Amino acid sequence: MAKMTRRERILRASNKERTDRLPFFHNWRHLQIGWAERECRNRGMGISWARPSYITKIHDVDITEQRLEVNGVTVFRRTYSTPVGSIYLDERRAPGTGEWHGMRSWKDVTPWQTERLIKGPEDYKVLKFIVEHTEYIPDYFPIEQAKDWLGDEGVVIDIHHHQPMQMLMIDWIGSEGGRFFIHHAKYPDLVEDLYWAISKSREPMYEIAVKSPADIIWCGDNIDGVLVNPRLFEKYFMPEYEKMAKIIHKHGKLLAVHMDGRVGVLKDLIAKTPIDIIEALHPPPMGDLPIGEALSLWKDKVIWVGFPGSIYSLGSEVTKKHALSLLREVIPGDRLCIEMSTENLVSNENLLMLTSVLENVYLPLTQAKIDRIERAIRFQD
Amino acid sequence: MIMERYLASLKESIINLDFDAVVKIAKEAMAAGVDPNAAINEGMVPGMAIVGEKFEKGEYFLSELVVAAEVMKEGLKVVTPYLKGESPKKLGKVVIATVEGDRHDLGKNIVTSLLRVQGFDVIDLGVDIPTDTIIDAVKEHQPVIVGMSALLTLTMPKMGEVIESLQKTNLRKNVKVIIGGAAVTSEFAESIGADHKAANALEGVKKCVEWVSAWERRN
Repeated sequence: MAKMTRRERILRASNKERTDRLPFFHNWRHLQIGWAERECRNRGMGISWARPSYITKIHDVDITEQRLEVNGVTVFRRTYSTPVGSIYLDERRAPGTGEWHGMRSWKDVTPWQTERLIKGPEDYKVLKFIVEHTEYIPDYFPIEQAKDWLGDEGVVIDIHHHQPMQMLMIDWIGSEGGRFFIHHAKYPDLVEDLYWAISKSREPMYEIAVKSPADIIWCGDNIDGVLVNPRLFEKYFMPEYEKMAKIIHKHGKLLAVHMDGRVGVLKDLIAKTPIDIIEALHPPPMGDLPIGEALSLWKDKVIWVGFPGSIYSLGSEVTKKHALSLLREVIPGDRLCIEMSTENLVSNENLLMLTSVLENVYLPLTQAKIDRIERAIRFQD
Repeated sequence: MIMERYLASLKESIINLDFDAVVKIAKEAMAAGVDPNAAINEGMVPGMAIVGEKFEKGEYFLSELVVAAEVMKEGLKVVTPYLKGESPKKLGKVVIATVEGDRHDLGKNIVTSLLRVQGFDVIDLGVDIPTDTIIDAVKEHQPVIVGMSALLTLTMPKMGEVIESLQKTNLRKNVKVIIGGAAVTSEFAESIGADHKAANALEGVKKCVEWVSAWERRN
């Protein structure tokens, strides 16, 4: 098979086509810049770069931010004032936040919301007002620019918000202490009403996405079956994915969803969704669905595997062993990409080791080829 | 007979995750002179046990476990003021925390609630707790178990730091250490010298009960 560029590899694999080598790439947000990443990229590692296709404008809402001391800790309070009332959130920001990749700290951590926008039942109507007064406006420059800069080194994907119910669970009500579950049990009508408002308000966002220059539209949903149980997934998530996919597929684009948690309990439902790419799937030990089982269960889907951070924490030798055993599970290696990390920074040592395993994965993969890769690395050591 | 009916209704209200019913029945039961200890131990606690069984069978999920614990809290708010005299026997103290740098508390909180239901005296230090604070709490409260949670691979090593400090301060031999969190593996638990990695909240609580029961049998 003719040699492909890193971009071709990722896109062809994502379209369920055979590639010359197994695509492997780093997530721009977690990518270190320096000699090791340069060496890994020279040896075949690509990049996936997530950028939005829209900007938002919130009408009739005043947004102010104050720096406050709460219980001896500095927090940033953002207050949203609307004609139907005000709500606020508090954030604790670690050093470096806002000075690096978006709102991440030097240690790659996002701000900690110590107070969520929804605290009690009275806050729902205010948030609903904000949702209904949010306008999505196309802005393709960030994607065009990233595509221009990246060229054939990788892919630019169109990044989108969490799905409506995930927005409530993770961002606005929060799952701390089971808050979302308690709200959902105590105030089901309020939760559902806001869910439907968010869902409706998002429709223009999908129309904008399909006209963007990105080939893949990505939802950062962080799906974990422990939090998003099958009942919630079926009732609130699947219909939204269906709505989204209907528009996306009409324009020949792919829908990717970030599912980096324990999704074993959702595996049969995920199989029924129209999602094209299960992004950041973490097989055991961090997740609970072996990659071989996922590939055989989701025959119409492509999996971008997230290499587990807990393996990295055990050092490069364990990283090598885990990578080799992962390869043995995915023979012949179709419908698959490997992401070096989707959750945190990777040490140079681990990045180089994983590259040593992945750089020579020519497809179709066989046991004999994996044995040769193993021997070659042992020889290098 | 009336008492049995109230106890059964309290149990049902927990199983059905019914906030309104638990408060209404608990109030009626107290007004009817039902023994508050019985209301808790023969009504609500068995209700939680059924919820636990349903969770283990896959009929209920974490959401139901969380809500059931919250429903029980509402019931306890009504019943507790009627308790007189001696407090019920405690199984032992547990110091629990989410380690420094990590603010995820869902797992920790559900473990805390379930440990309390089982009769443990739980000192919940909260989230983002520095190692020194955990060590100070162990010195002060002298627990039999230390529980630590971390969701992020970035913060997991802090659990090892706490165990190391427990060793340095000669406290390790007095406590069992249980750890949990999505990213935590048994291999990691072993590598840092923890006694157990909880597969989930219920399994973790069972392990704590098992430890305490074994000590009681020995003593």
